Amino acid sequence: MAAGGGGVADPLSPAGVPCAFSPQSQAYFALASTDGHLRVWETANNRLHQEYVPSAHLSGTCTCLAWAPARLQAKEGPQRKKRKSEAIGTSNQADLLALGTAVGSILLYSTVKGELHSKLISGGHDNRVNCIQWHQDNGCLYSCSDDKHIVEWNTQTCKVKCKWKGDNSSVSSLCISPDGKMLLSAGRTIKLWVLETKEVYRHFTGHATPVSSLTFTTIRPPNESQPFDGITGLYFLSGAVHDRLLNVWQVRSENKEKNAVMSFTVTDEPVFIDLTLSENKEEPVKLAVVCKDGQVHLFEHILNGYCKKPLTSNCTIQIATPGKGKKSTPKPIPILAAGFCSDKMSLLLVYGNWFQPTIERVALNSKEPHMCLIRDISNCWAPKVETAITKVRTPVMNSEAKVLVPGIPGHHAAVRPAPPQTKEVESKRKLGEKEVSIEERLGALDIATKKEKDDLPQTNSFPVLLTQGLESNDFEILNKVLQTRNLNLIKRTVLRMPLHAVIPLLQELTKRLQGHPNSAILMVQWLKCVLTVHASYLSTLPDLVPQLGTLYQLMESRVKTFQKLSHLHGKLILLITQVTASEKTKETTCPAQKAKLVYEEGKDLGHAFLAYCFHQDNWDEDEDEKASEKDEDVDEENEEEEGDDEDKDEENGEDRDVASEKELNGDSDLDPENESEEE
Amino acid sequence: MVEEEGIRVVRCGGSELNFRRAVFSADSKYIFCVSGDFIKVYSTATEECVHILQGHRNLVTGIQLNPSNHLQLYSCSVDGTIKLWDYIDGILIKTFRVGCELHALFTLSCAEDSVFVMINKGKPDVFQLASVKLPKSSSQEIEAKELSFVLDYVNQSPKCIAFGNEGEYVAAVRDFYLSVYFFKKKTTTRFTLSSSRNKKHARNNFTCVACHPKEDCIATGHKDGKIRLWRNFDDEKKYTYTCLHWHHDLVMDLAFSVTGSSLLSGGRESVLVEWREAAEKNKEFLPRLGATIEHISVSPAGDLFCTSHSDNKITIIHRNLEASAVIQGLVKDRSIFTGLMIDPRTKALVLNGKPGHLQFYSLQSDKQLYNLDIIQQEYINDSGLIQIELTKAAFGCYGNWLATVEQRQEKETELELQMKIWMYNKKTQGFVLNTKVNMPHEDHITALCFCNAEKSESSTLVTASKDGHFKVWILTDDSDIYKKAVGWTCDFVGSYHKYQATNCCFSEDGSLLAVSFEEIVTIWDSETWELKCTFCQRAGKIRHLCFGRLTCSKYLLGVTENGILCCWNLLSCALEWSTKLNVRVMEPDPNSENIAAITQSSARTNLCHEPRPLYIQKNICREEVLWGVFVPRDVPESFTSEAHQWLNRSQFYFLTKSQSLLTFSTQSPEEKLTPTSKQLLAEESLPTTPFYFLLGKHRQQQQNDKLNEALENELVQLPLTENIPAISELLHTPAHVLPSASFLCSMFVNSLLLSTETKSAEENPDDVDMEEEKESDDSDEENNFTEKIQDTNNTDLEEDIIHQLSKSEEKELKKFRKVDYSWIAAL
Repeated sequence: MAAGGGGVADPLSPAGVPCAFSPQSQAYFALASTDGHLRVWETANNRLHQEYVPSAHLSGTCTCLAWAPARLQAKEGPQRKKRKSEAIGTSNQADLLALGTAVGSILLYSTVKGELHSKLISGGHDNRVNCIQWHQDNGCLYSCSDDKHIVEWNTQTCKVKCKWKGDNSSVSSLCISPDGKMLLSAGRTIKLWVLETKEVYRHFTGHATPVSSLTFTTIRPPNESQPFDGITGLYFLSGAVHDRLLNVWQVRSENKEKNAVMSFTVTDEPVFIDLTLSENKEEPVKLAVVCKDGQVHLFEHILNGYCKKPLTSNCTIQIATPGKGKKSTPKPIPILAAGFCSDKMSLLLVYGNWFQPTIERVALNSKEPHMCLIRDISNCWAPKVETAITKVRTPVMNSEAKVLVPGIPGHHAAVRPAPPQTKEVESKRKLGEKEVSIEERLGALDIATKKEKDDLPQTNSFPVLLTQGLESNDFEILNKVLQTRNLNLIKRTVLRMPLHAVIPLLQELTKRLQGHPNSAILMVQWLKCVLTVHASYLSTLPDLVPQLGTLYQLMESRVKTFQKLSHLHGKLILLITQVTASEKTKETTCPAQKAKLVYEEGKDLGHAFLAYCFHQDNWDEDEDEKASEKDEDVDEENEEEEGDDEDKDEENGEDRDVASEKELNGDSDLDPENESEEE
Repeated sequence: MVEEEGIRVVRCGGSELNFRRAVFSADSKYIFCVSGDFIKVYSTATEECVHILQGHRNLVTGIQLNPSNHLQLYSCSVDGTIKLWDYIDGILIKTFRVGCELHALFTLSCAEDSVFVMINKGKPDVFQLASVKLPKSSSQEIEAKELSFVLDYVNQSPKCIAFGNEGEYVAAVRDFYLSVYFFKKKTTTRFTLSSSRNKKHARNNFTCVACHPKEDCIATGHKDGKIRLWRNFDDEKKYTYTCLHWHHDLVMDLAFSVTGSSLLSGGRESVLVEWREAAEKNKEFLPRLGATIEHISVSPAGDLFCTSHSDNKITIIHRNLEASAVIQGLVKDRSIFTGLMIDPRTKALVLNGKPGHLQFYSLQSDKQLYNLDIIQQEYINDSGLIQIELTKAAFGCYGNWLATVEQRQEKETELELQMKIWMYNKKTQGFVLNTKVNMPHEDHITALCFCNAEKSESSTLVTASKDGHFKVWILTDDSDIYKKAVGWTCDFVGSYHKYQATNCCFSEDGSLLAVSFEEIVTIWDSETWELKCTFCQRAGKIRHLCFGRLTCSKYLLGVTENGILCCWNLLSCALEWSTKLNVRVMEPDPNSENIAAITQSSARTNLCHEPRPLYIQKNICREEVLWGVFVPRDVPESFTSEAHQWLNRSQFYFLTKSQSLLTFSTQSPEEKLTPTSKQLLAEESLPTTPFYFLLGKHRQQQQNDKLNEALENELVQLPLTENIPAISELLHTPAHVLPSASFLCSMFVNSLLLSTETKSAEENPDDVDMEEEKESDDSDEENNFTEKIQDTNNTDLEEDIIHQLSKSEEKELKKFRKVDYSWIAAL
């Protein structure tokens, strides 16, 4: 039967630090940490609003705190001539914070002015103050202490109105009834006092250890048929030190029942309790209990009579650090306090350490019994004086963010593939391609090795290298080829490269064009060559649109300035180069080795059914049959191309639809413009 | 159940704080600033608004402490009155009617019964400085018509007038000259600077003036950034001036410290410069104050400075040039492009803030929460620079996503656009950039909206642009082997006959997208992005577009430039109704089917699916309404009458051109306006300090000694002071309304003089009682320090006298209490 004792190290004193949300909108959170500082935080933006150090913070640490109830300002005009001393009882004291200390004094601190408002000492307690409660209407303050007394203060005059012995041991907790006429007090047992006469109205069994919290949970009796006298039928809740059970009691008309009506079980000693009052019979009471182990337990229960079995929580909330990588394991972050928002659907959680807590609003919508929030509070630890003054928050901009610039896929809508039929064909073809590819590669490898042995530095080897690189997707080989600056070399390579490598080359070029602008300069030369030389081939491809859509968009977006001029320029260049090329091709014969390779393939018709590449096969046949007629062909194609161009000019003027033809048009048009940009 | 009163328009914040210099209280605990029609009292320690002094009917233009009683404050307003306030309790004490518009107020400690005001007679740009004699009278409203002119043709800004050397002269500047008027000699001297058009002197204009508090020295600020210190200005020939030059742009304000040892200056550089001993080389700086310094003021105690900034904030700065507190109003940007939004997460109002920032503003507490730096580039505060501007912003998916658009346009063809999509990271409780899109469109983006349907599995964002396209962006999985990631990519680009896309909005369930192309509204299916139908009314370009909600979700409302409000039925694809209404602002309520529309003629209609308005409020405010937004209530109200029903689930806030935030409320304006008006009514009873113990004990000791001495001689009977009416009267009257102590003292002592017939009145020989009495005195009168001393003195000195008042004297004292509160208390 120890009387509690006043020390902080008292094993039976309630765990946790005194803290409270401001009433009504919960705009502030006051926390008196163990270093004697009172800190008031803004809940909306998690900012330290003010800090106060009581002059006697070392000798008398704060043991409990309570916000004065917010009241609407009484209707009095601004011209009111009353003196302040006469206008008692019509105040709005939302900003007053009462602090009880270990030495028995009570401080009233004004959070608006940021200074001590008054100090209640005379005639008060001479030992540790355990709990403070404001009366909701008349501005009185009730406090209880280890000195076994309960004191009623008049806060206007700062004097004791009444002081009476509340218990045989220390009184640890207080609560005022919803109608303001009764007071609950508790040491180990719970007593209900009539405030007017200061007489005990009821006794309750209480807990085995000092009661740390008392709250009324209902404001109306469950049975509404009977006349309500303000207290009978109400439920209240009590929690005690070292007790994992929270008991619910009912005030009954007959004085017989002394046991708890029901109880809630939690995982550890309750540190902070908040609840939403139920205003009618149907509405359940929502209860949030913060335990010493840093978890929050949520209960939702309609209080109606007995329940023998302790109820377990509907939902448990925990907070943990993310635990980066595999090395560090997630660590739990203790929750310090939890309060229901006014909409009853979300919860304000205060977590972290006492010196720099994080306040977060969490929506309660979950049906799941366990919520684990992962929070990274490592960056919150450093005190940020600068931001406190400027109130600027900088959102994170790191390199992980996706960047879309014109021309990069994703910036513009992807080009839709043509009707689904072709799609099927495509997919078939792709399948085929895959099947063949190994053999193909082997064959290519054979040749490649040969060539490499033969003459590496020769220009002749470039097309081979290129095809090989494209097929094996070898970065180094491709680099070697594509990073050449020699225009003639590029031209010759492009001219001699096998046709089936054109599309892969273009795709490779697109990829590189999207990359660093410096490398893009080189790629443009290649692109220009490929498009001028192989325009005819490309124009024959039916599935060109999906294959080269991105390239088209890229070019489109890069030639936005002087669009028309560059279009014209492009066309002229195309014409000229084609004409000169046609003249040149008369002199240069097609690459012999390529013909050889194709010939082999052509021979090997056993595999040809696998349809290596539709067009390539076509070309192969062409090559076989009309090797001699090639020159004329090119000419014809050129002419076609020109005709096409003209057509497309008109189209351009008309419409900007995404048609396959246009796509091609774009391709052939636009490449020289890249050049023009550079120039 | 809330009592249903009429709905009225209520101002709920956002008015400017930087209109005039802020004024400190004598003890530096409070700071006053004018704010529209009100005066706000802030605590310098906590940045909290302690009181709002309301009573003026028009713009308040000047405030000054009463030089004869520092617990009182004078204010003047355009409504032609000067009011005297008790700022501690927030009480209006007196109103002086002057009768003409007042534009500035100055007080002087040497001229106790008169104040100086700036008035404007006749021409709009001609202002005069006049002194007004404030008659003494006990009535609340007093006519004060006794004007005497001091200076004519002064500048409108109160920064251009300063009183120097304890009121010996007044200095005024305008354009290129400085005129000094000496009150004793009644002469004006005038100094003119060269105003020639050549380069060197072209920007010589005076901008502000300040006078040294002790010496004959005037500091003037100039447009070219120079500060000139004038001396010997009583002689028109022998005057001298020295130049201080650090500012590169005009000097916005100047202030001398209380002792005059240093001069403070500030300007567009947002750097506070302290010139020590008025020397060029002794400069101290406080840089990075955020925005142009418009006003500087110094507390009478000398421990604090404050600077008012163009972004509607007041920074309180310690004597050692350290910013200690910021009182921030709703940041005033040049223009609000983003409109008003509600952050679903914090329920804060979001709009353009500082340049390149989004500000989050708490409507409940009328306070800024924070600024979110979107552009993240150093803001160079210089005129003529074209800045990156934040033009659009939108929240999506319960605040998980934020999309912002910034633009910079130096020339017609050089538009720089960037869209940033931010994701809210729950782990770190902050926004993280997810996707950055350069040039999302080729022309200005006109609208940005998220699809906020609850069921939609993929997030969708739509941007509409003047380039004739609208783009649909969707959230896709960007994961690769290195990281898991999501990113936004363009999914669809739509256009309609090369018309400019002007508005876009999603239907409530997200199945339809409406995009307006100039005069035509197109409806797209959000699944396949097919054009479903078009509506065209040929009644001008569409200004606003929104879908109905809940039961009205089959309707689409559109407002055209020509002032037609159309409602289309989406089921029949036909026009349901249209009406001629020039709607400026149209906002749907997310929680109900109501839609608010604000028309140009300031009437306000609230429309449902019928053309009949649900509720109309006329003449909501003087200025043009720019934006509006519905804010969902945390706790729904339960109004039953039809006119109030629309306020049940949400509240409608709107912003006017002068950036004051208004709302509709049924509560009385007092309640609404001062939601946390802090009336501290509990008596302040400060604890006894160690000093008290030292002094108080000493005093008691003395008393006891004397008492003992007296006891030896004669049994002295001391009555309780509480029993003496005069003393209790005196003790219960607040200090600031008492006459001066010197005045009271003699008559108080007289009143205590012993009259022989009352000698045997009360006997109280116990000295314990006396101690009690002293205690009660202390607890009552901690704040009335002078009285207490006086009181104790009296008891000390006159202890052998039985204290009793004659009735006539008592009456006299009572009269004093009633009659006049403006006694000059030399505290």
